[in-house]
Amino acid sequence: MTARLENFFNIKSFCVVGASTTPNKPGNVVAYNFVNSFPGKTFLVNPRGGELYGNKLYQSVLDVEDDIDAACIIVPAKYAPQALEQCGEKGIKNIIVTTGGFSEIGEEGIILQNQMYEIMKKYNLNVIGPNCLGIYSPALGIDTMFLPDSKLKRPKSGPVSIFTQSGAFGAAFIDQLSGLGTGQWVSKFVSYGNASDINETDSLEYIGGDSDTKMIIIYLEDFKNGRKFMETARKVSLKKPIMGIKANRTETGAKAGASHTAALSSNDAIVDDLLDEAGILRVITWDELADCVLAFGTQPLPLGDRVAIITDGGGAGVMASDMVSDCNLKLAEFSTDVQKKLDETFPIFYSTGNPVDLTGSATAEDYRDAFEAVYNDPNVDAIVNLNIPCIPDLDINDYVKYTSEFAQKKKKPFVTALIGGEEGTKATNKLLAKDIPVFPSPGRAVRALGMLVDYTKYLRKHGVDPKSIHLED
Amino acid sequence: MNNRELFEKTKQENRSWLLEHEAKQVLQNMNILIPPSKLVLKEVEAIESAKEFGFPVVLKLMSKDVMHKTDSGAVVISLSNEQEVKETYVDFMRRFDNVDIAGVLVEKMVKKGLELIIGTSTDSTFGPVILFGVGGVLVEAIKDVVFRMCPVTKEQALGAIEEIKAKILLEGFRGQPKVNKDQLSDLLVKISQLAWENKDFIAEMDINPIIANEDGIFPVDARIILK
Repeated sequence: MTARLENFFNIKSFCVVGASTTPNKPGNVVAYNFVNSFPGKTFLVNPRGGELYGNKLYQSVLDVEDDIDAACIIVPAKYAPQALEQCGEKGIKNIIVTTGGFSEIGEEGIILQNQMYEIMKKYNLNVIGPNCLGIYSPALGIDTMFLPDSKLKRPKSGPVSIFTQSGAFGAAFIDQLSGLGTGQWVSKFVSYGNASDINETDSLEYIGGDSDTKMIIIYLEDFKNGRKFMETARKVSLKKPIMGIKANRTETGAKAGASHTAALSSNDAIVDDLLDEAGILRVITWDELADCVLAFGTQPLPLGDRVAIITDGGGAGVMASDMVSDCNLKLAEFSTDVQKKLDETFPIFYSTGNPVDLTGSATAEDYRDAFEAVYNDPNVDAIVNLNIPCIPDLDINDYVKYTSEFAQKKKKPFVTALIGGEEGTKATNKLLAKDIPVFPSPGRAVRALGMLVDYTKYLRKHGVDPKSIHLED
Repeated sequence: MNNRELFEKTKQENRSWLLEHEAKQVLQNMNILIPPSKLVLKEVEAIESAKEFGFPVVLKLMSKDVMHKTDSGAVVISLSNEQEVKETYVDFMRRFDNVDIAGVLVEKMVKKGLELIIGTSTDSTFGPVILFGVGGVLVEAIKDVVFRMCPVTKEQALGAIEEIKAKILLEGFRGQPKVNKDQLSDLLVKISQLAWENKDFIAEMDINPIIANEDGIFPVDARIILK
């Protein structure tokens, strides 16, 4: 069975209802996006008629002679029911309503949304929204995000699909991903807003089965179909990782939600256990979510929980070790050969246990030698590479070179934390430019690794070999 | 009476919850093993039942006016001879002379063991959900619980049991007997089925405490609250 949401992505023609000639207005931005990027036919509708970006402006969608697969309605809320009715009459089955001013604003908006719902049922429509950003897929040239590229940068095509209840979260996260590493992250993005029709469960059904999607990021405040969502997630999470935020965790949060996307909170203790059981890796903060993208989007799954830490600073190593324990990971015990090699390679004042502490005397070559020794140790499942770059003998460019080399081997997860100021930032940017996962603190590096291990453990518990999961393209 | 009839009877009597002996009948109808018990209306019947079950026994007053039995002194445990049963029965009748008494439940006292809880509630998002936890009556203070959607499969139930923080207690902690997880998971499955199949009737359920001892796993008290 085709997931309903697939009808929005698998399209040959698209119509923008409310295509505006005023630069940077939502209806103008979406028209521009489709005229420029969409390989299929784009039809623009504006009651005033005329022309926009070399395309005819139809006065009504009913004037278009060709069949239209999907449309986006970008008109003020009070005109939206009429626009929807006309789309229905025209025979367009898949419609995105980005406009706000519906159930999220209270009584008046609820009446409008109910009106929309009746039209939707009458014509048997699939509707995304209202009050949303709609959909985005760089590979397919689909982009209903109504904020101009000058403001909201678009990430390029990649392995991550995202669905979100909050449009603002979606916009910010999309913008953030565009600036993360090479910016090549996004496969499908869905912002479904008030979920009058298409909801979190429809999104998961489609994205879960989408072969271009290697990992799924979610942002939810409530569930429209919680039972089915969990049942679907249980199946999807055995094939690809799902991670994200279920906000609205506290009573205060619930109130904030009610005035946002008409959210209703459900008991968070229940939600937390059900997400966990369904294999959804729940994160709490925004930082963790971006860190997940970097770790899952660039590294393989570990085959175990034994971590090797390499550091040039004792404090950073101790803090990373603490986080190893907090994240239910273990410090690896090096095999005899590897231990011997480390002991022979390094001066007596280096600490060759785990963490391997190369001290303030560390050189880039020391790092390389340590990486080489521990990377292939069968007792090591993952490597945490910590660097405080202000030490005197470390050539930062060489360190970046060796780090890149090992992070790109992709036999075992290899995460890095560069801690400090300008020197660290420069090195961080160089590594990120190659999509090397690097974090600003030991804790964040270990936690990101911990999420990878959590997923491995979940798969194993359900009899799935983590080697069968391919996170990268 | 089958479960549906029990729920309907309760509603007809304008009660929103089942008395303990009714709730236990519901459990028994689900083939859940409960400690031997009998609802009696006379002192002499109480003594007879106690002798039949063997001492010690517990006496509990069954009344729609007394929901929180322990708090109201409507549960007396460790009665070890005929005299104590008789005195307790008489004392119940004296102390509760102004309430509507359905009877006195005489129950064989379950040996000490690990106190567990299984409960269900109706979540606005997920419908009937089941809770498993440790602590029995202390559960609200300890808050070591795990939730699942009803109904749960045996596999899910076994998984849920492993999720509690104090799971070490189930492994025979400090000389205590090990908890039979196979039996415990069966109990979770049955209670989740009960909540799911009767979701039109049942709002909440507390099977608390459940005592796990060397003889098995016994629901000692049960409360079913209807919608």
